[in-house]
Amino acid sequence: MANYFNSLPLREQLEQLGKCRFMHLNEFTDDVNALKGKKMVVIGCGAQGLNQGLNLRDSGLDVSYTLRAEAIAQKRQSWKNATENGFTVGTYEELIPGADVVLNLTPDKQHTAVVTAIMPLMKQGACLSYSHGFNIVEEGMQIREDLTVIMVAPKCPGSEVRAEYVRGFGVPTLIAVHENNDPKGEGLALAKAYAVGTGGHKAGVLMSSFIAEVKSDLMGEQTILCGMLQTGSLLCFDKMIEEGVDAAYASKLIQYGWETVTEALKYGGVTNMMDRLSNPAKIKAFDLAAEMKDIMRPLYHKHQDDIMTGHFSATMMADWANDDAELLGWRADTAETAYEKTDAGDMEISEQEYFDNGILMVAMVKAGVELAFETMTSAGIIADSAYYESLHETPLIANTIARKKLYEMNATISDTAEYGCYLYNHACVPLLGDFMKDIKSDVIGRGLNLNDMSVDNARLIEVNREIRNHPVEDIGGELRGYMADMKRIV
Amino acid sequence: MSELIQLDGLTVDFDGRFQLSNINWCIEPNQNWMITGTNGSGKSALAAVLAGVGDVVSGTQTGIPDRVSLVSYEAQGELIAAELKKDDADILDVISEGTPVQEIIDQVCQDQELASQLVKQFGLDALLDRSFRKLSTGETRKVLLVRALTSNPQLLVLDEPFDGLDANTHKMLAAHLSSIVGQIPMVLVLNRFDECPDFITHIAYLDSGELRHQVAREDDSAYAELYQLLHLKTGDVEVPDADPISDLPPLDPTQPLVRITNAKIQYGETVIFEDLSWTIETNQHWQLTGPNGSGKTGLLSLITGDHPQCYVNDIFVFGFQRGQGETIWQIKQYIGYVSTALQWEYRVSTSLRHVIISGFFDSIGLYSKYTDRQRDIANQWLEILGMRHRADDPFNKLSYGDQRLLLIARAMVKHPPLLILDEPCLGLDDINRQRILALIERICAGSETAVLYVNHHPEDKISGIDCYLALD
Repeated sequence: MANYFNSLPLREQLEQLGKCRFMHLNEFTDDVNALKGKKMVVIGCGAQGLNQGLNLRDSGLDVSYTLRAEAIAQKRQSWKNATENGFTVGTYEELIPGADVVLNLTPDKQHTAVVTAIMPLMKQGACLSYSHGFNIVEEGMQIREDLTVIMVAPKCPGSEVRAEYVRGFGVPTLIAVHENNDPKGEGLALAKAYAVGTGGHKAGVLMSSFIAEVKSDLMGEQTILCGMLQTGSLLCFDKMIEEGVDAAYASKLIQYGWETVTEALKYGGVTNMMDRLSNPAKIKAFDLAAEMKDIMRPLYHKHQDDIMTGHFSATMMADWANDDAELLGWRADTAETAYEKTDAGDMEISEQEYFDNGILMVAMVKAGVELAFETMTSAGIIADSAYYESLHETPLIANTIARKKLYEMNATISDTAEYGCYLYNHACVPLLGDFMKDIKSDVIGRGLNLNDMSVDNARLIEVNREIRNHPVEDIGGELRGYMADMKRIV
Repeated sequence: MSELIQLDGLTVDFDGRFQLSNINWCIEPNQNWMITGTNGSGKSALAAVLAGVGDVVSGTQTGIPDRVSLVSYEAQGELIAAELKKDDADILDVISEGTPVQEIIDQVCQDQELASQLVKQFGLDALLDRSFRKLSTGETRKVLLVRALTSNPQLLVLDEPFDGLDANTHKMLAAHLSSIVGQIPMVLVLNRFDECPDFITHIAYLDSGELRHQVAREDDSAYAELYQLLHLKTGDVEVPDADPISDLPPLDPTQPLVRITNAKIQYGETVIFEDLSWTIETNQHWQLTGPNGSGKTGLLSLITGDHPQCYVNDIFVFGFQRGQGETIWQIKQYIGYVSTALQWEYRVSTSLRHVIISGFFDSIGLYSKYTDRQRDIANQWLEILGMRHRADDPFNKLSYGDQRLLLIARAMVKHPPLLILDEPCLGLDDINRQRILALIERICAGSETAVLYVNHHPEDKISGIDCYLALD
C-alpha cells in the first residue's frame, strides 16, 4: 500500500485539501431515513464505538457490534461494553455479511488488519464508514469498488459525543465521502443520516474530504490541541515551583486554568479570551504570544510539512511495528512529571483569577491557536477546517485536562494524537527554554498586582487591532455565528 | 421590657380547637419579631399566647410582662361582643347608644397627648362621639390600635396590624411603629413578607401549630428562602397552561402509560433485580421505595429510556414497545423528570428562564428557537416560584434549593402525562424540603399528571399518592 495523498497530482491534492463547507440545518430534513431499517454493524467497542452506537440506537436505528472471536471468547472489555448496554454482539463471520453499513470505529493502528479481514465478508453494495481517514489517506488502503466509503467524524472524545446527545444536543461533526468509492452516489445521504443519528447535525456539520480531514486533524491535535497544552502545563508548573508558588495552587491553576481561559475562547475567540485580561495584562500576554510565535513557528511548519509528506505517519507506523515502544515510553515519562504528580489543592480560585494569574497560559493558547491556523491555511487547508482543528477544539481538550490532568487527556485522545503530542512536546520544551528563563510569577501564578492600571492608548489600540484582525477571528466569527443560530444558548 | 421572654417546650390548647405544640422560642429585649405562616398555621395563636390566651398543657413560659397590648381580629371581636352585651344587658327602655369611641380609648389610655395625635392621624377625630359598635371594621381596628399604642405597654403584639388599612394609614402606622423602636419591643403577625417593616429583626415561621423556622433578618439567604416558602404556600397562583404548539401526540387512553414485564437489570454477574413487572395507569400517583442499591433509579431509567438495558427488556411506554425503531425523544416528550443527578448534569451557564424553556425540548441547556408563548409560560412559572425578577440571572449562581425548584418547573412546563421525581428533596435542608413539597403539591392538585415519587423519608409526604411499589 502506498500513501494515497502522495499518489495524487498536486492539482488534486490542493483541491481535496481545500474542501470544507459548513452545512445548514435545513440540509438534514431527511433525518435518519436513509439509514432507517438498515443493519448497522459497529466494529470495535471502545469510547467512540460504544457512544456512537448508543446515540444511533436512541435515534431509532438498528445497531449491533462485531468483535474478533477472541475478544468475545475471552469476554474482554469491548465485549462487556457492548453486552452490558444491551447490544447484540457477534463475530465478523456472523454479523458482517448481513450488514448494510459497517462502522469501523477501531483505533487507526488496527484499520488495515480489520478492513482486510472484513472486506471479503461484506455484502455487495454495502457501505463502509470510518471516523478518521488515516487508513485511506496515509496507508492507502484500497476498498472494493462496489462498496460505498464514507467518513463521519464527531470532533470530540466519545464520552462527549454521548453526553451532548443525552443533553439534547450533539457535537460538531465532519463528514466526507471517499470519491473513489461512491458507486451508487448514496454516500452523502448515508453520511448525513449518520450525523443526524449521533446528534451532530444540531451542533454543526462540516462537509470535507478524507484528505482535508486527515491533514488538518493531525496538525491540530499535535500542535495547539494536545502538544501545546502538555508543554504549557509542564513549563508553567515548573516555573511556578521555581518562583515559590504553592505547589497545590500551581497544580490547580493549570488543571482548571486551561478549561477556564479556553471557555472564553469558545464564546468569543481569541479576542474575547484576551479581553478577559486587564489592559496591562492583555498587552503583556500579547507581547509574550508574539515572542513565542516567532520561536515556535519553525516547529509548527515542521509538523505540518511532516504530515503533508507522510513522514509523520511513516514514523508513527514504524513505532506501531516496534510494539509502540516510543509511545509507551513517553506515556510513562509524562506520568512521572512533577505537574502530573502534584494534586490540585482545594483552595478557591475565582473564574477571573485564572485569567489574572494565568497570563502566560492565555498567551500560549493565543500563540498556539494562531500559529496552527496560519500554518494550516498556508499549507492549502481551507480556513473553515483550520478553525475547527485549532481554535474550536482547544476547549474540548482543555476539558479533559480539567477532569484528570494530562493522564486523562492522553487517555482520551487517539494513540495517533498522543504520539504526535509527545513529538511536539519533546521539541517544544527545549525550544522555549531560553524564553522561560525570563518568565516570572507575575505572568504565571501571582498576577501583575499593579496599583496603576494605566496603559498607553496608542499601544492598546494597536494591540486590540492586531488581535481582532487575525484571520482566525474572521472565520471564527462567521462559524460561531452559524453555530449560534443553531445553538442559541451555548 | 427588661427580661427576655422564654417559651420552653410549650404546648398550648385553645378550647380544643387548636393546639400549639412544643414551642421553643426566645425573645430578647432588643429584638422585634415577625410571626408568619400559612392560614391555620398557628401564627395568631402564638401571638395570643403572649397576651395570656390559651391553656398551657405542658412546658413553661417565663418573662412575659404584665402589660401586653394585643391587637388582633379576635381581640377586636371580643371588644365588639362586649359592647353588644352591654346593650343586651341594658334594662332601661331607651335606645342605647353604646360606649362612645372617646370613652373606649380613655379606658386604657396612659398618654392623652399621643392619643389625640394618633386619633388625628388615623382620621378618627370626627368619630370620637360615635358609638364604638357602630363603627366599620376598619374604624374599630384603628381604635384598637390607638388603645394599644397609648396604653404604655411593655410588649406590643400586633396581629395583621396593616390588614384593611388604606395606603395612607398603613404608611402612617408603619412610621409610628418605627418611631417607637427601642422603647417597646414588638411582635407582629404578618401574612406577607413585603409588609415586613425594616425594624423587624427576626422572623418566626409556623406550620401546623409548630414553630418550624426562626430566621434572623440579616441572614439574607435564609430570609429569601423563607420568603419563597411562604410565597409557594400562599401565593394565589394557578399552574400555567401547557403550550398548544408543543402539544404532545395524544396517547391511547385505553393503554397504560407504562407497562414493564419481567424486567431485569444486570451488570456483569450482578443482578440488580429481575422478574419485575409494573404497570402505571393514567393519573395514578405512585411512590417508589427501597434501600440504596435496590435499583430504584435503574428502574426509572428503564422508563425514561436512559438505561441502555431498556432495549433488552419488555417495556411498553406511551404507546411504544421499546426497541422497534422509536427514538428516545419520542419517549422523553411524555415525561417530566427531576433528580439530583439531573441537577448535577445541568451545569450549563444559562438563564433561569431558559432552563424552564428547555423543558419544552427535553434538553439540558437550550438549543432550539422558542416561541413568545413559550417564553410567557416560562415567565408565569417564574412568577409562581417568586423568581420573576431573577429571570435573566445565571442558573449556576442559584442556591441548591432554588435550582431544584426551577428544575421541577422545567419538568412540568409541558404538562407531561408522567412526572418522575427521583428523591426531589435529597440534599436539601428542612426549609428547602418544605418549599419543594409545597410546589409539588400545588402541581399535583392542579394538573392531570401522574406522579412517580421516589423518596426515603416518611416525613416528606405528598398528599394524593396512593399507590406504592417497594424494591428490596
